[in-house]
Amino acid sequence: MATRVSFENSNEIGVFAALTNGYCLTGINRSENFYSVFESELGSHIPVIHATIAGCRFVGRTTAGNRRGLLVPNTATDVELAHLRNSLPDSVVVQRIEERLSALGNIIACNDHVALVHPDVDRETEDVISDVLGVEVFRQIVGGQALVGSYCKFSNHGGMVHPRTTVEDIEELSSLLQVPLVAGTVNRGSDVLGGGLIVNDWSSFVGLDTTSTEISVIENIFRLTGSGSSSGGGQRMGQGLQSNIVTNMRSSLIDQLS
Amino acid sequence: MTPGLPPLVLGNLRTRNRLASVLVAFFHRIKFLSLFSPINIIIRSNHAMMDLCASIPSSTAPVSAGTSATILCCMCAAPISPNPSNTCSSCLASTTDVTRGISTEATLHQCRGCSRWHQAEGKWIGCDLESRELMALCLVNVAGLKKKRNEEGGGRVRLVDAAWVWTEPHSMRLKIRLTIQREVTSGGAILQQSFVVTFVVRNQQCVECQAAFRQGTWKNLVQVRQRVGHKRTFLYLEQLILKHGAHRGCLSIETFRDGMDFYFPDKGKAARFMSFLEDVVPLKVKSSKKLIGTDDKSNVSNYKYTSLVEICTLCKDDLLYLPKEMARHIGNISRLVLVKNITNVIHVIDPLTGQTGTIESDAYWRDPFRPIITAARTRLTRYVVLGKEAVYLERNASRKGVSKKQRSKLASITSARESDLGTNDSTIVERSHLGYLMKGGDVCLGYDLRETQLVDDDAEDARMAGKFPDVVYVRKLYGGVASGDSDAARKRMFRLHRLKVKKGDDEEIGGGGRRGKKAKKDAETDHMDEEDFMQELEADRDMRARVNIYKSDVASKMERNNDEDDDDVNDEDEDDQKITLDELLDNLALDSKPDAIEDAAVQDAMTTSDEFSGYVEGARAAKDKIGYVGRDEALGVKAKETAFPVESNIWGEDFMHKNGK
Repeated sequence: MATRVSFENSNEIGVFAALTNGYCLTGINRSENFYSVFESELGSHIPVIHATIAGCRFVGRTTAGNRRGLLVPNTATDVELAHLRNSLPDSVVVQRIEERLSALGNIIACNDHVALVHPDVDRETEDVISDVLGVEVFRQIVGGQALVGSYCKFSNHGGMVHPRTTVEDIEELSSLLQVPLVAGTVNRGSDVLGGGLIVNDWSSFVGLDTTSTEISVIENIFRLTGSGSSSGGGQRMGQGLQSNIVTNMRSSLIDQLS
Repeated sequence: MTPGLPPLVLGNLRTRNRLASVLVAFFHRIKFLSLFSPINIIIRSNHAMMDLCASIPSSTAPVSAGTSATILCCMCAAPISPNPSNTCSSCLASTTDVTRGISTEATLHQCRGCSRWHQAEGKWIGCDLESRELMALCLVNVAGLKKKRNEEGGGRVRLVDAAWVWTEPHSMRLKIRLTIQREVTSGGAILQQSFVVTFVVRNQQCVECQAAFRQGTWKNLVQVRQRVGHKRTFLYLEQLILKHGAHRGCLSIETFRDGMDFYFPDKGKAARFMSFLEDVVPLKVKSSKKLIGTDDKSNVSNYKYTSLVEICTLCKDDLLYLPKEMARHIGNISRLVLVKNITNVIHVIDPLTGQTGTIESDAYWRDPFRPIITAARTRLTRYVVLGKEAVYLERNASRKGVSKKQRSKLASITSARESDLGTNDSTIVERSHLGYLMKGGDVCLGYDLRETQLVDDDAEDARMAGKFPDVVYVRKLYGGVASGDSDAARKRMFRLHRLKVKKGDDEEIGGGGRRGKKAKKDAETDHMDEEDFMQELEADRDMRARVNIYKSDVASKMERNNDEDDDDVNDEDEDDQKITLDELLDNLALDSKPDAIEDAAVQDAMTTSDEFSGYVEGARAAKDKIGYVGRDEALGVKAKETAFPVESNIWGEDFMHKNGK
C-alpha cells in the first residue's frame, strides 16, 4: 500500500526520509506530522528514527542503506553517528564513508542484494558499500543520468527507473538487479524517483501530488497490492498468482545457472 | 566528474551483458510479460555470469540510441512515450492553458480620412491589409504576448508563427492566428498552441485629418517672410527644415509669394521652430496676439499668436557695397564684397583679396541695407575661362588679413564673355577668390560691372570712378549647365526631398482671365528659382553638407558603371567643391505612397461593388511571406487549438525545421 505524504508542503519526501526493510530515518520537522505518518505505518515493525546528518534534515539524500547497514557521509558528526548506532538494531552496521560525492542517497541505489552506484565513486567506497551493505555493486547510469539514487528506486521485489530509460537499458538493468523494472514517474509526472518515492519490501510512501495512476504502477511493480499496512512485514506479503510464477521461475533459473 | 567516465562504465556493462545475453540465450531466453500491460517487464536471469564477466577488460562499446520505454501518462494512464512533463498531450492540454494571460481581443484604430493606423502616442502609419507592417502593429497590440521577465505565472512565451485569417472586408475585424510556445512546468515541458486573436477596427481621426477638418485649431502662426524677388532662401530653408525635422508638430504649411506660413497647435512648438530658424538665418521677430475669448471668472483667456519672422534680404552670392562704418568694423574689408553664405550670421568675402568677414545678425538689423546686385539670373553673365595665373598677396590690407589658405586660392583669371566668343576678341583679366577652382575652358557666372547700372548712388559713383573690378566671379558651373545642355536639370545626379506645402491664398486666387497666364508665369519663376538653387548647391560643398541630398536615378546608374569615373576624379583633384557620389544619400522610393495601393484597391472596390477585382485575397500576405488562412479555411479555424508538447527543448526549432523543409 502506498501512502501519500508531504514534508512541509514539499512532495520530495525521499529527501527527508530513508526507508529500508530494517529501519526508517526521518528528518526533523517542526511538526510531527511527517514522522507520525511513518510511525503509524511502520512503527509496529521497524524502528522509525529522527535523524540529522551534519545538522541537516535531508537525511534521505545524504544516507544510503539496506537492512544490513547504513552508510553516512563524512560530514556526519560523531554525536549523530552515536545516535544512529544507539537507535538502530544491533544487526545494522552504521558506517561513515570518506567519499567526495557526499550525497550518498543520490549516488547509491540499493536493495538487500544489489546496489547501483554513480560511475565516479571511489574504488574504496565501492568496497565499503559492498562490505557494509552486503551487496553486489555495479557502476551504472540510468536513463542517461549518473545520479542513480535520484533517478531509480528498487526494492527486493521490483524497481522503477527514470522514464527516459530505453527498453534495452531496462532489460539490462533488470538482469543486473534480478528484479522486474518499469519506467515510471511520481508526483504527477516528475522523473525524480528518489525524491518522490521511498519504498521497502512491504510499504511505500509517495509525494502528495502523486496521481492514482502512478500509485497503481508503483504498487504493482513493488508488489505492494493487498499487503495492508498492518500486515506482518515481508513474510506475510500477499503475493498473487503472478508473483508466485515469477518467484518460482526465478528460483528455478537460479538453480539452473548456479 | 570526468566526462569520459560514464560511457566507459556503460561500455563495460554492455560488453558484459552482451556476453551474458549470449549465454542466457543458450539456456533459453525467457521473457515475461506481466499482467499489467502495457508495461513490459522483462526478467532475464544471468546471475551466474556476473562473476565470470567481471574480469573481462572494459572496451568501448557503441552507445545505441535504443527504443524509449513506454510509460503511463501520470493522469489518465494512457501509454505514452516519455516527455518532459510525462503527461499525455490531452491531459496536458486539459490542465494547462498556454494562452493564459494573452488577450484574444484587441482594438485597432484606423483613420477613415487617410486609412492610416494608429501606432502609438499619436503616431499614425499607413500600411496595407495583410502586410507585414500591419502584422507588426497587431502583434504589438496583443496584450500578454510580451511577458515581463519577473512576472508570475509560468514561463516565457515564444511566438513561433503568426498568420492572417480571412475576414469579411466590411466586418471591421482583423484576425490573426498566433502559434505560441510556452514552458508549462518547471521540468521544462514546452507546449505549443495556436489561437486566433481578433482585432476590432475602430475609427479615429488622426491629428492631421483633424487639423484639416477643423478650422482654427492652430494656436500660433509663424509667418516667415523675406522681401526679395526670388525663393531660393526658402528653398534652402525647406531643406534645412527637412534635415532637422524642424516642422514636427506643425499642423500645416502654406507658401506665399514672399514667404511661408507655419501653423502650430501651441506656443511651445512654434517657439521651438523659431529658435531653429534663429540658428540658421539672421532674422527679426515681431509677435502679436489676438484675443479669441476670455473667461473673467476663472481668469482664463484664449489667444491666438502670430509671429512675423523677417529674414534678412541678403542672400548667398549677392553683391554688397558695405556702408563705410560696417566695412571698417569687420576687419577693414573692402566695401565691395560678395555674400559667401548665410547662417545665423552673414559671411562675406572680398572677391579680389579673398579676405572674409562676418556681419552679425544684430549689426545688420541695426542698419539694414540692400545689396547692390541680387543674384538673379538676369544679372549674372556667363564667362568662359581662358587661362589663369596664381596670385600671391605679399602683405595684407588689414591686420586681421587673409588666411594663407585663402590667399593661395586667389588667381588672376583671363576670361571672355560667352556671348562674345566668335564675335570679338575682348578678354578680361581679373582676380577672383574662386581662382583655384578654375581652369581653361570652364564656364562660370559673374557680375559684369562694366555694363551694369547700379541703383545705389555711392556705389554708382565708385563704379564710375573705376574703383570696381570689371567682373566679380560668383560661381563656377558644373555638369550639363556649364556645357549648356537643355536637359541639364534632369541629368543631375542628386535630388532633394520637398516639404508638403499648401499654396497660400494670394497665390491661388488670381484675377479672372489673367489667372491662367499668371499661374503659368509663377510656375516659370518657381522653376527658375529651383534651378538656381540647385546650381548653388552644386557649386558649394559647405552648403551641401548642411542639407540632405539624395541619389537620383542618374547617380545610381553612374554607380553601376563607375569604373569610368576614375580618371575624371584625378584630373580635377584641386576642385573640392565638385559634387561626388559619396555625399549622396540613398534615396528612399517615395514614388508610391503606402496609401496609394490601398486607395486604388478601395476605388476598385467601389467600381465593382461586390468583387474585389484588383485585390486578391492573400496576395499581399504571400508577398510578405506571411501565412494566410483563406476564406474557406477560415470557417474551420478554431479559436483555440489543443496544445501539444514540443519535443526538443529549443524554442521554435521544430517549427522552423518543419517549415524550412
